[in-house]
Amino acid sequence: MHYIWKEWKENIRGKGLWLSLSIIVLISIAILFRSSVLSFDKGFYVLLINLFDTIIYFIPILCLFIGAFSIFQEKEQKTLIMLLTKTDHFGSFLIKKSLGLYAVVLVPLITWFFIYLLLLKFNFQLDIKGYFIFIAAIVCMSLVFLQMGAAIGSISRSRMQILGFTIFVWFYFFFLHDFILLSFLPDVTHENVKLFSSVYFLNPLQAVRMFLETGTGVYSFGHMSRLLQAFMWTKPVFFLIGNLLFWLVISFFTAIVFNRKEGYE
Amino acid sequence: MKKLTLLSFIFSLFLLMSPEKKLAAENLQTTIDSLKEGAVLQLENKTYQGNIVINKPLTIIGSKKTVIKGDGTGNVISIKAPHVKLSHLTVTHGSMNRNSAEEYAAIKIYTNNNIVEHIYIRDSFHGIYLSQAHKNKIRFNDIKGMGKGKIAEQGNGIHVYYANNNLLEKNTIEGTRDGMFFEYANNNHSYENNISQTRYGLHYMYSDENIFKKNTFTMNTGGAAIMNSNHLKLEDNQFIVNYGNQSFGLLLLQANDNLIANNTFYMNQRGMYIDQATRNEFRHNIIAQNQIGIELWASSNEQTFTLNQIYENTIPAVTLGGNSENNSWSKNGKGNDWGSAFPITDLNQDQIGDFPITYHSSLYQLIEDQELSYLFLKSPALKIYEKMNAALTKEAVMFHDPHPLTSSKGTHTDAIFLIVSLIIVGILIKGRHLLCITFGRNGRKI
Repeated sequence: MHYIWKEWKENIRGKGLWLSLSIIVLISIAILFRSSVLSFDKGFYVLLINLFDTIIYFIPILCLFIGAFSIFQEKEQKTLIMLLTKTDHFGSFLIKKSLGLYAVVLVPLITWFFIYLLLLKFNFQLDIKGYFIFIAAIVCMSLVFLQMGAAIGSISRSRMQILGFTIFVWFYFFFLHDFILLSFLPDVTHENVKLFSSVYFLNPLQAVRMFLETGTGVYSFGHMSRLLQAFMWTKPVFFLIGNLLFWLVISFFTAIVFNRKEGYE
Repeated sequence: MKKLTLLSFIFSLFLLMSPEKKLAAENLQTTIDSLKEGAVLQLENKTYQGNIVINKPLTIIGSKKTVIKGDGTGNVISIKAPHVKLSHLTVTHGSMNRNSAEEYAAIKIYTNNNIVEHIYIRDSFHGIYLSQAHKNKIRFNDIKGMGKGKIAEQGNGIHVYYANNNLLEKNTIEGTRDGMFFEYANNNHSYENNISQTRYGLHYMYSDENIFKKNTFTMNTGGAAIMNSNHLKLEDNQFIVNYGNQSFGLLLLQANDNLIANNTFYMNQRGMYIDQATRNEFRHNIIAQNQIGIELWASSNEQTFTLNQIYENTIPAVTLGGNSENNSWSKNGKGNDWGSAFPITDLNQDQIGDFPITYHSSLYQLIEDQELSYLFLKSPALKIYEKMNAALTKEAVMFHDPHPLTSSKGTHTDAIFLIVSLIIVGILIKGRHLLCITFGRNGRKI
């Protein structure tokens, strides 16, 4: 709880969180205006998909920056050493720090999306279950990238390194991961499609998107071929949970194993 | 004495009541059988047990809570006489038996000139079935199936079988197998129907010269599947979010000489999917934000695309299965508006580009060979892959528009990409320090 409070105080004094939130708020309002011409009963789904397709460009990189600079700041201001000289070791510090980060980023984000729901109510016929799935998708994506950001902050020695790592991670999940898979796509057969599918859903952006689009009923997997059936060997929600656990654990242990205690400008 | 007065009062009430407009008895079939031809039967706000067969022209009018509940063994209401009118009823619990010789429905019509309107249909195999029935009016009905998970176990919202000259208007159909299924049915008119969450919103088999206007198809596996049907008119319809691994807004399969005009195809997996179809004309349609705007198989010939707005699709048009050179992307010197993805010059300001547009792509091979490629259509990596692949594999012409129209709409996605790119470049060049201050150091300069 102390960490959450500390994180909150640090972030409300900073500009990063507010900048990120204001970007999300502006985008969601812009999408709402753009979608106001859509039909009352089905426009809600179109809006959710459009909104997701737009904020998917922003949330990952903003969470990476918030997570990375939050950890790096502890090193830069020497508060990390002070905290670790107590009984804490780095692992428990990282857990508490991560929980603090989650709380500080997710609480305002979720609050905004509940206010947004009220705005939507005037324009569309709501599907509350669909909206919860949308929020769950956003939360999962934020968690993964915050934890990755924390790992970047932990292993970086300087701000330049943070910038480099962050842009690389963002670029990897946006372009490289899919690009590599596209290169292997012609060789995918029924025998290796399960492996291909596992790697495909390792990309949090794809796992989250599939979860959202199938969960809201927008994307239908009817009349699947054998290949596609083998590709979707479990439900999208399990792909998402697997992805979430995988990246949280990997990021956490990367942050511990490759941790560099000192940081300079 | 009092009792006698009361009895005579009730008796006189029955005497005075019009014989054509009597309250239904508990046994609805007996009541119907006892009515004269042309009678009007006003039903109460209660549940009547079916099944019923209507053998004479009459009108049955229900109220808000009037339910006719079948016994689950056949059609709930069978109309076997012409000039029957049904309105304001809820019809439910038809037979779901798929092994019987007959396909059952909530309302099955075998005759001509009937009107079925304001009917709620639930828990039945087919909703309304027109079997060799002509000149009927089916309107303002609300048909709900069992949803997407049980597509194969149920029938169609409205099934039109060997039935001509019917009017299907302002019906709402949700969660059935096909929304409207036409089989050997000609000259039918369908207006302003709203069909969602079905397999195919509209399914035409061997049905010619039908008109389909102002209908909306959302969240179906396929919006409209036109198969082996000719001379149809599809105008002012909306095909929205028909989105799935095999989804499409409109499928034309072995369908010839059809006119597809003024329709909107928005956010579908494929806007249009055209295979083995000939001489169809696509005019004034809006094809936007689909994964693939137009998927045209080489077996299709002599299609004409003119005056369409085709923008913000991941792939605007793709030709698969070889070159299909017989299709025309303009008519009378007017091509299509391809949005800002294909910038054109128009020096003489005649709204027609000065140079033709030719779109080459190397993706066709991947899409043809590997169905999983559809999973990457939303990925930004696809564009890079396409460009890089172009150098390695043979590109093919996807379309050639000799007279492209000037763009009337800017693209939203491009604007976002531009802003994001500018911000990133700006930060990397000038604002690294600012960024670090913003996210770190509690926002304070030190």
